[in-house]
Amino acid sequence: MRALALYGKGGIGKSTLASNIAAALGGRGVKTLLVGCDPKADSTINLLGRRIQPLLEVMREEKRPPPERFTMVGFNGVSCVEIGGPEPGVGCAGRGLIIGIRYLIEALDLEEFDLVIFDVPADIVCGGLAVVVKEGYAESALVVTSDEFMSLYAANNLCRGFTSIGAKVGGLLYNRASERGRAYVEAFSEKVGLPILGSVPLSDEIKNADRARRTMIETDPSSAASAAMISLADSVYKSRFSVIPKWIPAEDLEAIFVGDA
Amino acid sequence: MSVIMHPRPSPIAAAMYTLRDLDVDVIVLHGPSGCCFRPARLLERDGVRVVTSALLEDDFVFGSEGKLSRVLKRVDELFKPRLIGLVGSCASMIIGEDLKKAAREAGLLDKTICCDVHSGSGDNTVGAIVVLREAMSMGLIPREEFERQKRMLEMATQLEQARGTARGEYIDTCVGDPPKEVARAILGVLASGGKVACVLNAKKETAFLYADVTLAICEASRRLGGKVQVLANLDPSVGLPRVRLYSRQILGSFSDAGVAVDAITGGIDEYPASGEKAKQIILNSPPDLAVISGIPHAVAVERAVRTVAVSVGSRAVSNLKSLGYDYVVGERDAHQVSLGRNKQIRRSLLGQAIREGIRA
Repeated sequence: MRALALYGKGGIGKSTLASNIAAALGGRGVKTLLVGCDPKADSTINLLGRRIQPLLEVMREEKRPPPERFTMVGFNGVSCVEIGGPEPGVGCAGRGLIIGIRYLIEALDLEEFDLVIFDVPADIVCGGLAVVVKEGYAESALVVTSDEFMSLYAANNLCRGFTSIGAKVGGLLYNRASERGRAYVEAFSEKVGLPILGSVPLSDEIKNADRARRTMIETDPSSAASAAMISLADSVYKSRFSVIPKWIPAEDLEAIFVGDA
Repeated sequence: MSVIMHPRPSPIAAAMYTLRDLDVDVIVLHGPSGCCFRPARLLERDGVRVVTSALLEDDFVFGSEGKLSRVLKRVDELFKPRLIGLVGSCASMIIGEDLKKAAREAGLLDKTICCDVHSGSGDNTVGAIVVLREAMSMGLIPREEFERQKRMLEMATQLEQARGTARGEYIDTCVGDPPKEVARAILGVLASGGKVACVLNAKKETAFLYADVTLAICEASRRLGGKVQVLANLDPSVGLPRVRLYSRQILGSFSDAGVAVDAITGGIDEYPASGEKAKQIILNSPPDLAVISGIPHAVAVERAVRTVAVSVGSRAVSNLKSLGYDYVVGERDAHQVSLGRNKQIRRSLLGQAIREGIRA
């Protein structure tokens, strides 16, 4: 079993990539579990076509629920779980993630799966959001980024966080790729010592699939966007690269963008 | 970086005690039911109802302002309080719970003193200051009283850092000297016609325990001779009505026992400042022995005269020993002994040993 965790700036497309990677590999017979770790509980929506009741909400009704109460099977046989969490502005999402993940690991035999993908929200802003890699539930993290400055800035902060907790990272997933911006991501990749495992172009087809609450793989398997997703999924599944990353000072990151790198 | 590693008093407990001093009818602790259990139980003995919002793991994750609001409403129905104290806990404050919002939603904001404090807020006195500031903003105490108490609490913090149990990285525990042995030393001074300065420098209700040392020494002097000088921080014109009453009650008991107070050093909530005043009096006319009860380290005379320090807590005893007080007696838990609806002077270990020594 392989277990990977997707991290990256909020809104960068982690859930879109996670659900498409899961769908692509599921279609090839890889037994896959996608675990949404965002309190919004919308990581698995593209595989299921709807929201499922998050584990933490189920646990409020039943302290130790059986797996069938919080697990659903979606497109291409991908098993789906949402951890869930509080409404915005109240409670503690990080604490929720710690409790939810710990129970999930206890209740589900993850060894039954070939691949487990944890889709983790935004930055590692607290200990709770780091629990997946910190406590070793995922063997390595994958950092999703675009070629925009703020996205790479967040990726660099993540690398800093992973360095400080000694967590390993498998590489960068380059989303919304463009010809013009590729050089920025490549420069960053070199500086932090992480390979780019694959890229997916900025695409209206992907946006439309998201809007329809389906994966690109399901909507149009023969499209160029689907091909990119499948290629990315293969690369992610096959890669065994894993290293504690480096991080760079903010001025070095800024230098990438002014061409001084 | 130096870290104080031994257990320290909690700002939550300090906030709860200060709410008691303000005569709230109920204290609602927004936290797990076991949080601050011991101070809560002691305060209940003092006639204050203490309830908690009984937070559980789900409440930490999803937030619990709604639950708190329901608890406040229920408290109002059950106990019909004139005044409610609402105190945070580590769990509720760290997840950002809004105490005032919950009180407002319960329709009880006007009579609820909301104290946004937890055990990581800093020194325990921070908890007391938060309560007093809120009480002032609600018009329950005048600004002058707030400023006076704040000044005293800040002095208390400085005192703890300079000479108290906050001065070391780790202070070990120590049981202190046997009360019988210390009683023999006191009785010996009196029997030889010497002068004993009996300094009561206590904190609020704990004075009901430490005042017994003064009573016993005066009783011994009447039987054995010698001279006793009584200094006490029992100014009945200082502090909140509740603590003024404590002073009046103890002075009344002294009067009933024929004990004359030679100097009032300050109010019963002013031990850092009254300690300094007691020190000056002692240094001006040094006794053969100074017996200092309550917060002895506030009366820094241990290098000038022979001293007996009477306090509570094995760590405080250890600290007083290391400061250089000649004898140190560790009393039973002063709060445990002195809290209760029926406030009267309670028998102390040293007082008992002195009385037994007189009879022997």
